[in-house]
Amino acid sequence: MIAFSLLLSVTAYSTAGGVDFGAGIWDLLAGTSARGREARALIDHAMAPVWEVNNVWLAFAIVLCWTGFPIFFQSTFLSLYPLFSLALIGLILRGAFFAFRHVADDPRSHRIADLVFGASSLLTPFFFAASLGAIASGRVGIAGPSQSVLAASFSPMSISFGLVSLAATAFSGASFLVGDARRYGAAELVGYFRRRAVAAALVLIVIGSMALLTIALQAAPLFRSMLAGPGLPFVLVTMILTPVVAVLHRRGTFRWYRVLTVAAVGSMVMAWGFAQSPYLLPGQLTIAQASAPPATQALLLIVGAGLVLFIVPAMALLYYLDQRSALDVPKA
Amino acid sequence: MTSTVWLAGESALLPSRIQMAFTLASHVLLVPLGVALPTLTLLMEGIGIARNDPVALKIARRWSVVMAVQFAVGAVTGTILSFEFGILWPRMMGRFGAAIGLGFAIEGLAFFLEAIFIGIYLYGWERLPRRTHFLLGLVLPPAGLLGAFGVLSANSFMNTPGGVTLQAGRLVDVDVVAALFTRALGYEFWHFLIAIYMTAGFAVASVYAVAWLRGRRDHYQRLAFLVPFTVAAALTPVQLAVGDLSARALVGDQPAKFAAIELTWRTREQNPEVIGGLIDDAGDVRFGIAVPVLDSILVGYSPNAVVRGLTDFAANARPSTVEANIAHLAFDAMVGLGLAGAALAAWYFWVLLRRRRLPDSVWFYRLAALAGAGCYLAVEAGWVTTEVGRQPWIVYGLMRVSDAVTSAPASFVWTMLATLVAVYTLIAYFFVTLLLRLAARWRREDEKSPTAPEEGAPYGPRPARFPELGS
Repeated sequence: MIAFSLLLSVTAYSTAGGVDFGAGIWDLLAGTSARGREARALIDHAMAPVWEVNNVWLAFAIVLCWTGFPIFFQSTFLSLYPLFSLALIGLILRGAFFAFRHVADDPRSHRIADLVFGASSLLTPFFFAASLGAIASGRVGIAGPSQSVLAASFSPMSISFGLVSLAATAFSGASFLVGDARRYGAAELVGYFRRRAVAAALVLIVIGSMALLTIALQAAPLFRSMLAGPGLPFVLVTMILTPVVAVLHRRGTFRWYRVLTVAAVGSMVMAWGFAQSPYLLPGQLTIAQASAPPATQALLLIVGAGLVLFIVPAMALLYYLDQRSALDVPKA
Repeated sequence: MTSTVWLAGESALLPSRIQMAFTLASHVLLVPLGVALPTLTLLMEGIGIARNDPVALKIARRWSVVMAVQFAVGAVTGTILSFEFGILWPRMMGRFGAAIGLGFAIEGLAFFLEAIFIGIYLYGWERLPRRTHFLLGLVLPPAGLLGAFGVLSANSFMNTPGGVTLQAGRLVDVDVVAALFTRALGYEFWHFLIAIYMTAGFAVASVYAVAWLRGRRDHYQRLAFLVPFTVAAALTPVQLAVGDLSARALVGDQPAKFAAIELTWRTREQNPEVIGGLIDDAGDVRFGIAVPVLDSILVGYSPNAVVRGLTDFAANARPSTVEANIAHLAFDAMVGLGLAGAALAAWYFWVLLRRRRLPDSVWFYRLAALAGAGCYLAVEAGWVTTEVGRQPWIVYGLMRVSDAVTSAPASFVWTMLATLVAVYTLIAYFFVTLLLRLAARWRREDEKSPTAPEEGAPYGPRPARFPELGS
């Protein structure tokens, strides 16, 4: 149950945060042309209200992890601290330079801010996903890495997970920016991001297949479980929905594409999580072995219930107000 | 001896401690406004609604923007802290996560709630009926309180651990209630809560004290000074009492920490209270002023009360003399600032009650302008006292800091520390620039027709139109 909540918050962060980081990647790739500037202005505008609310998911995943599975938390951080540190540095650089863009006056510092912001949008999703890959590779040992820290952190598995995450965030970012462009009636940008969503979907399919190959070669049990076990439904959802969304964008059918994007990207994370269960560290540590004492788990469930009870209606209200405020100008 | 080990780069203990101290010291600066400003804002909004005063509503609306900006920065520095527990102190979380994490789980829930309701509050200005907006805002103070409770519960666990059963170094059972409500929570929670309300009050008021000194003295400035300053001043005497209780609780709960903050070397009766001063490895105190027997009287209400000294504890179970000096001076600074705040509060209430008006002395406003910064210093000093005074323990009596630290090489942690210092400096610069710009914009707008202040703020609504297009 707790493990499922943990997987759920990781998935939430990957999808909600992914949209956000994806926007940052497109910001980096927008270039300096006139249209690139317009694209960047849209990204700025779309991201402003949500960019740090997503961090809450991340913080929640961390808290669930160290409270619910302390041993797992200790093992992971002892082995993979380089990955987490790099992701973290990306995270704060991104936050700082996103703010800086709004404060910077002269074009040169503005350009630097754009660059650092975009680059850090690559850093964070890559290294977070790489840490999942490193866990899946089985190189994280219980009392520290079973090999050197560097070998545990940087392996074919961790790198391919990182690359998949870059493609996936670029894909979901572009897909959602299409929606934002439509909302603000920027017809030209709708086409701009539609083309990019299609391209990113194709890249994602290629990289995703390569990652599957890597998993087959490096972590055979995980691969079997993905194709003939609990991971299978999610693998199928991803494999079907990613091309479907690409086709929707190609044909300009503006229905369902955002929900399906979230489902496609979320399923990727779920596929990994379900395929790896009941192990937290493949072959070494199961969910049951790593679990905190029952009383702690009970309290975590109460907190989780509180989350559903209070947060969901509150978020719905905020979303409603956000949609409404986009339509009418308040009297000051 | 140990310092050569650090220099050789074999242990990441020193850089890890510095990094944790630096990031926590930065984060704690954001806490007062994050937790307490919503209450002040709602108080101001309540006044505005009750008296139908548009000026009060305008003030509340602007404060809500400052609240959101600084909450956003706090969200980033807080996320970093949660990762540092793993990167720097993985073994503490591995052993005690199931207990210490409880507080953080509650804090996570509260943080989530506060983030969303700050958004709702900002969106709701003029879009929702006034009463509904106010009522929705009422979620914010308890959410802040709950968050503070979670973090202080975790910190109290580190000071006076309880509710856990350990077998061969492994935590096998947790009594959730006992682990959340450890002994130190009773005083730590109230002491810190009052501290941040005081700090928020004095800090907000100090902005308008400066405005008064610059000659802006209309209804807007008076109201924006009066409300937060009154709240903070009223809390000052309460804080002196709670602070006194906290210090005396240490005598039983963490005697080594108490010995450190009082610079008591040997256990004795008629112990003097040392103000200032530094202790050396032989136990001699220099430069300080010693008030005879005062410490014994404060501890046991009798000159013959016995006070335990540092030498009562094994050398590896008590703060070093350097740490004792730091904790002692920080404690003195905190108490000194607290007494200064109480004097200022007394001046304020004297004039307010006797003459039924605000003070009009330039010196009062000069001191009031400094009170905000003084409070921030006191919060930092208090935090240094409790953290440095606990050394060498990370969980008092159960785990040493040196046993919790990461096995990463020191050079790695130094590099990360340098990066963090650089980025934090940058963030601080942006933060201050942004606030100054907001202030300047609002001053300009007071002269012309205003726009909605919360638009474009973090968590706030985006401007209705998309202005950059085609420019």
